[in-house]
Amino acid sequence: MNGRLDELRGPVPSHPHDARAIAALAANPGCARRALLDAAGVDKDRTARHVGFPAPFGQSQFAITRGNVFEALVKENGCAELLRLLRELLGLPVSEVGYQDVENVGAHLRHSHTRALIDRAARESEETAVFYDHPLFSLEIAGHTSYLEPDVVAFQLGGRFHIVEIKSFGVIDGQAEPQKVAGAARQAAVYVLALRTLLAELGHDPERVSHDVVLVCPENFANRPTATLVDVRKQLAVLRRQLARMTRVDRLLEGIPEGLTFDLAPDRDGVPTRSAQELAEALCQVPARYAPDCLSTCDMCMFCRDEARGNGSTDLLGRQVRDELGGVSGMAEALGLAEGTLEPAEGQEEVARLLRTANLLREECLR
Amino acid sequence: MSESLDALERRITGLRAEVRRAVKARENSLARSLRGDLRRAEKAWDEAISAEEPVPASHEPEPSLLPIREQVHQALALLGVPAAARLVVAVNDAFFSRALRGPQLTSLRRDEERSFRSDPYARPYYLCAALTDRLSPARGLLADSTWEPERRVLGPLSPRVDFLTSTMRVAEHLTRLPDPSPAALRLLSRMAQNIPGAVESFAPADPAIAIRAARAELEVHHAADTRQRAEVAARASSQLSDVERLFGAATMSTLRGAC
Repeated sequence: MNGRLDELRGPVPSHPHDARAIAALAANPGCARRALLDAAGVDKDRTARHVGFPAPFGQSQFAITRGNVFEALVKENGCAELLRLLRELLGLPVSEVGYQDVENVGAHLRHSHTRALIDRAARESEETAVFYDHPLFSLEIAGHTSYLEPDVVAFQLGGRFHIVEIKSFGVIDGQAEPQKVAGAARQAAVYVLALRTLLAELGHDPERVSHDVVLVCPENFANRPTATLVDVRKQLAVLRRQLARMTRVDRLLEGIPEGLTFDLAPDRDGVPTRSAQELAEALCQVPARYAPDCLSTCDMCMFCRDEARGNGSTDLLGRQVRDELGGVSGMAEALGLAEGTLEPAEGQEEVARLLRTANLLREECLR
Repeated sequence: MSESLDALERRITGLRAEVRRAVKARENSLARSLRGDLRRAEKAWDEAISAEEPVPASHEPEPSLLPIREQVHQALALLGVPAAARLVVAVNDAFFSRALRGPQLTSLRRDEERSFRSDPYARPYYLCAALTDRLSPARGLLADSTWEPERRVLGPLSPRVDFLTSTMRVAEHLTRLPDPSPAALRLLSRMAQNIPGAVESFAPADPAIAIRAARAELEVHHAADTRQRAEVAARASSQLSDVERLFGAATMSTLRGAC
């Protein structure tokens, strides 16, 4: 199977995943195109650019700087701010103040040092640190190891680990933008999963990693951090299912024709040798499941949107509308049913009745 | 004052009209001299209005005559514990020249190490590293080579202990000053906010209360931290060379055996 995936990717090294990419996987679990591209480790950003649909996102330099400054503020003086927040939030006792910076051992040893420290913390409760700064986890994604860097791991008395995620979007009046919180929760879920995997490998109980992650954000319009617990159980379940699908990628592979490849082998100037047309045709062989949310998570979003527009697919209208229009194949059919030019087939009567009523209402409004 | 302002404004309006007339009549030399008068009148008006409301003296930091390492040493001497560059800059801003900037500190430790290697103990003090429990240099922390080894090594509790100690030192220094600057009070308030019972939400911190609260928490950690630090310091003095004792051992060699 790995041979088949290598063939899909072509003679370029596999593209590593970061937490954002893994989290984005969980955002749209039904998309075969994304699952296949990720399993094969194809560089989606380059693919999208080559077929002429570069993704419109990527973090702005200002956002990155702002995020780094806020993170430094929360972590300075041995996580002094974070300590105050956790004392308020989790009732951390005053005596628990230990702090270990994993990066002290140098970048090349961070992963093994993280393992050693977490192992020691899980084994003995005495004299362990509360904060592990700059840890480095690994998670196996479809046969390839991805390295992940959570902001901080907190270890509390009572023997539970908490992932701390520091984000620089504001919580105003106790409210934050739901989309951003959801994004942060998905990302944190990846870390929880990685830490659970690590504990299981070390022979400890993986449930010692709490499914509540600590989300630290600036409060109101000041730079003062505030912390909340976010339950990521749902995100974890989605993520697990998606990762399991990737390991069962052979079932996805069955459906695709022989000889298909997303090869991006560059020539001497670094320009991919295949024509964009060919690549686009290859991509179209694998079904995608476009949803408007893809625009904020997936590199291939513009390509898939264009395809969905071309087909007149109901995917464009969002998940909710698409699900309500179940059994209707496209926008043309939906319009036909609404205007009464099409006879509803068996099983479409209910949808057709709703669409006609909606059309009638619209006509009356416009009259 | 306002009457003279009114008079000046009337004069300026009159002069403007005359300038316009002169330009229309193509009397260039007259227009030029009138423009000169207008400028003088406007300047007088500017001076009169700013005399009513004195401009606050600008707080430009005066360039310090001390070299950067001396300024860092000054801040470290006040704090008395290993400190990150950010804290050193904040202390310098609050109490001293306010001319120190973060990027100036990046290569400091490396330069000091080079100087020590080429000519050991030539300087009265070196700005060196704090050592972690694996005897490697702690990232980003600066220390003073004249401090006893126990103060220059770190156990897991030490970052918190050092934070509490430095808060106390800043507060003590504040009580000694007859007229502390607002920046110094701000620094203390910011630090005290993270110590339980040291400050009432956003109110400016009282040095005496901050010291008491920090000492109360320090008592909880003190014994364990002293024990851990003594252990690391003993290991450092038995295993490391002179340079390594100040600037830390390379990580690869110390990792064997530890953990």
